[in-house]
Amino acid sequence: MTSAPLSGQASPDRPPPDRTAPHRTAPDPVAPDRVAPLARDSFIELHARARATALLDDGTARELCGPFDRIESPWLAAQEVVPQSDDGVVVVKGELGRRPVVVIAIEQAFQGGGIGEVSGAKITAALSLAAQDNRHGVPTAAILLLETGGVRLQEANLGLATVAEVCSAVLELRALSPVIGVIAGALGCFGGMSIAAGLCTELIMTREGRLGLNGPEVIESEAGVAEFDASDHTLIWAIHGGTQRTATGLADVLVSDDVAEVRSAVREALGRGVPDEHRSQRIGELRALLEAVDPAHPPDPADLPALRANAAPVGSAARTNAAPGESAVPANTAPGESAVPANAPPGESAGPANAAPRESAVPANTAPVPANAAPEERGRPMRTRDAATASRGLAWIRALAGGEVGSVVPSVVTADVMLGDDSARLLAVVPDPGSPYHRARAGEVGLREGLALAEAVTEVVTRDVGLPEERRRPIVAVVDVPSQAYGRVEELLGIHHALAAAVDAYASARTAGHPVIALIVGTALSGGFLAHGSQAGRMLALDDPRVVIHAMHEQAAARVTRRTVAELEELARRIPPLSYDVGDWAKLGLCDELLDVGDADEPTGEDVRRVRAALTAAAGRARHGPRDLSDRLTSPAALRTRAASRRIHEALTAQWR
Amino acid sequence: MQTLNYQFPADREPARRAHVGVVGSGDLEILMTPEASGGARVRVRTSVDGFDTVWRTVLERFFARHRVGGSFELNDFGATPGVVTLRLRQVIQEGGI
Repeated sequence: MTSAPLSGQASPDRPPPDRTAPHRTAPDPVAPDRVAPLARDSFIELHARARATALLDDGTARELCGPFDRIESPWLAAQEVVPQSDDGVVVVKGELGRRPVVVIAIEQAFQGGGIGEVSGAKITAALSLAAQDNRHGVPTAAILLLETGGVRLQEANLGLATVAEVCSAVLELRALSPVIGVIAGALGCFGGMSIAAGLCTELIMTREGRLGLNGPEVIESEAGVAEFDASDHTLIWAIHGGTQRTATGLADVLVSDDVAEVRSAVREALGRGVPDEHRSQRIGELRALLEAVDPAHPPDPADLPALRANAAPVGSAARTNAAPGESAVPANTAPGESAVPANAPPGESAGPANAAPRESAVPANTAPVPANAAPEERGRPMRTRDAATASRGLAWIRALAGGEVGSVVPSVVTADVMLGDDSARLLAVVPDPGSPYHRARAGEVGLREGLALAEAVTEVVTRDVGLPEERRRPIVAVVDVPSQAYGRVEELLGIHHALAAAVDAYASARTAGHPVIALIVGTALSGGFLAHGSQAGRMLALDDPRVVIHAMHEQAAARVTRRTVAELEELARRIPPLSYDVGDWAKLGLCDELLDVGDADEPTGEDVRRVRAALTAAAGRARHGPRDLSDRLTSPAALRTRAASRRIHEALTAQWR
Repeated sequence: MQTLNYQFPADREPARRAHVGVVGSGDLEILMTPEASGGARVRVRTSVDGFDTVWRTVLERFFARHRVGGSFELNDFGATPGVVTLRLRQVIQEGGI
């Protein structure tokens, strides 16, 4: 039995001959030199363990939680899938250039690099321990070798949960020491882990590496061959390839497939230290790019680097052009160059990034749909929703706010609601049938939604920064998202980056002391949920058959894992993380409370009072609880369900010194 | 997935434990641990059901030739007999045989 990862890993494992536009990332490693490649010591050809060791100073490598610890996935054998003794993630401590580092390498050959409970817990625990080192004066940095299709669908909801925890842990360490991502290929970095890549301090890629939220095959199967032809290799590399990602600022350094070159690039990136502002915080650049592009007529991939450079807001444009004499080298990869230009006006370095979201009242007709769905839709997940289907997100945010809602963009609505003595900011992603992004009209989280969420959350944090921490406003993600947007223009412009911006904003709010709460009222699927809800410190869900929380909708999950839907449903009865039932999800240790309501589609006055009381109580708990996601492993449910995660944290902590 | 268990006589012990391979398509990982028992204990977990006889033949031949003892854990993802033998030779070599 084999299984594929979340993304289209069946695409070729080498890019086609380079036909992209002249890029600004010279020296060009694809010059027609036929001899040099033979003299190289290939990094791509190494398995994860050898890659990790190859980056470290000789004799310093020490593996933690290795094969002989035998902490396997507890979920695979029960599904007749052969486990691996290290669950596909290799954690090696050592030194690079005499600096303490931990290398975390994902093995692409095992289950397509899919992240399950154990492999995800290994990454999270290693990053957290590195952060702890830093707080104790040891400047341990992290190097992530990212070859992954994203969430391992055989562990669905626990995979999704661990990817959210990985993102949170990257953010925690990134503030103290660099977290350098390397995407060498041949698999690439896709799915939820592309969001983690978007959070890294710096990203190093080869031209064989690929980076994107949705792989070509996933987009083709979700949206059709006209949207993305997964057999068009030139297209794939023109969009996802390392050359393009580096030329468009979504990665920082392009290297050849050579061990020494990768090692020295990592070492130089570590040397540049922690920047003042990380990529996922530079939302002004993302806004400028989105404003410069007409999604109905997207640019040719080859034209994107120039378009992006012209669109960049004042601060970052100055940086990109800072080294006119070195135009062949991306300015932001030049060693020693600071992330913020010296001539940027203080406090305005990000230009439009600091602009407040454009609030506007939502016209009454923004709700394009009746609040109640067809009865036959009950009891099964809503796979795709057209404009004639309900938005529970909108129904609930309106009900909780007494009708008064505003919007950042038509698909992201906000409201302020009193929870006890607190004024809380509510956010929901809702359908926008008029969206120029045709793959993001049914409530999916796309480029525009990721940016709007990031801006809206950041605005609350910025406004409250002067308040005592206990008075900072609660932020409530009202969740009803069918998925992330599966589309070509989304991948071209970097939807993973837009989602990383949203994840960054939510997690930053949580660590700044804002109670961040997810209220799941409908579907909470995949990347959409990762961007909007998964970083919440407290999670509440309606106890309703149409509340569906999962890594992927049922039909696609069946396709990817090569099972029938009936087989999947049978497995889900035995294996809680696979289940689409909210009651089973609540047993995974992530859920604070399941809420009984009378009418989940059109909430009654009593429903609103009950949910508001639950939100108020959750905000209180958040104020007194940890600001990271660590208590997801200590809840009573987690003590049972996440025993393997707990074992990883204990073993890695014991072996760390 | 099928789990198969075998025992073979042995008169050589590896000097140290060793690990090779990955559970990837057409490959397998092997964990070898020295044991005081004197024989070889082999546990195979394979993704391909129904090849019990082939496994027995491949393992019998290997352990008859090398007479290496210890615990051998094989996690297989569809490796051919040639790859299995190669990985077994690699793991005992890394184990100091």
